[in-house]
Amino acid sequence: MSTDFYTTSITPFSGIIIKLCRAYTNTQEDFEDYYQEVCLQIWRSKENFRAESEWSTWVYRISLNVCLTLLKKNKNNSELFASDSLLAEETEDNHAFADESLNVLYDAIRKLSEIDRAVITLYLEEKSYKEIAEIIGTNPNNIGVRVKRIKTRLKNILDGKIN
Amino acid sequence: MEKSIEDIWKQGFLKSDALVAPKVNNLYSQKSMHIIDTFKRMFKINLIAIVVFSIAFLIATIFLGIPITGVMFFVTLTVLVIINKRLLDSLKKIDTGASSYEYLKSFNDWINQQVSINKKFATFMYPVIFLSMILGFWFKDAEGIPLGERLVGEVLKGFPDIYMVQGIPLIALIVILLIVGVLAFFGGRIYQWDLNIVYGRIFKKLKELMADIEELKE
Repeated sequence: MSTDFYTTSITPFSGIIIKLCRAYTNTQEDFEDYYQEVCLQIWRSKENFRAESEWSTWVYRISLNVCLTLLKKNKNNSELFASDSLLAEETEDNHAFADESLNVLYDAIRKLSEIDRAVITLYLEEKSYKEIAEIIGTNPNNIGVRVKRIKTRLKNILDGKIN
Repeated sequence: MEKSIEDIWKQGFLKSDALVAPKVNNLYSQKSMHIIDTFKRMFKINLIAIVVFSIAFLIATIFLGIPITGVMFFVTLTVLVIINKRLLDSLKKIDTGASSYEYLKSFNDWINQQVSINKKFATFMYPVIFLSMILGFWFKDAEGIPLGERLVGEVLKGFPDIYMVQGIPLIALIVILLIVGVLAFFGGRIYQWDLNIVYGRIFKKLKELMADIEELKE
């Protein structure tokens, strides 16, 4: 991968890639693996970009698709999908951010289903329901309802943990 | 007052350390952990291994005097390689930049197609491999006459009244047909069983993800 491609095409969106990867990983090592894999897949797929959507939307799609279907580099090879092993590792490393409230919020997000994690991360990034639906490939009308449901669930999980 | 999740998110990411991207050195030379890349890699290695094995086996059977076995093996495995090479090419067409639903659906469709084709092929392949062994040894030269005929001659000495069909004991034909039938019946299942051991969790997870998105679509 050329430094140019990384600087011009990935760096401006590294924020959302980091935020998405954090939602699907629970350790620094996994996070770094996921981030690298997303960058690699963006680089490999760049020829397929047809400007039918914004470059940013395309980057979000790849990031999400990679996170949803990434094989976890596993110590015992017994778990193949990342999310399956999250619960077991919950206590491993939950201090990725200096802000403790953000760590607690991420902890709660990781308790959601894979699709809900994507919906809430994109919502918190202030993406419109239409754009979220476009990235996931679903109906924009249902995104609002789902966001409400996720927020209620998150509030229940966070209840009493954050002041 | 309690903070909203939107506030926690915004304020949390205002801190300078929150969005530090990891280093991405020598990225392209790294082995991918992505499921499609892993499938591609494994598929490619498997196909190369099958080609190497079928050629080596063909040469070995010629030296062992059972070329029929080698040729039948070689032809069967070549067909298997051609079919799976085409499947591999179609896997490369899956667009990572499609929406998650389209992406997962394409991948799921590919898996279903791959399983279905290979299951059908396994139904045919296992019996052919078994028959290739039987035929190979039947026609193996044994001091001027085929081994099979020699064997039948020996059997006839012990059981002169045995029922024969086209020079082969009926009982032997029945046993062979039974084994062929069992292999044909279980061939697809053996393949599916083998696949589930390795990829069962992935298949299950893909179904769950798709069901979740479909629920959102409705």
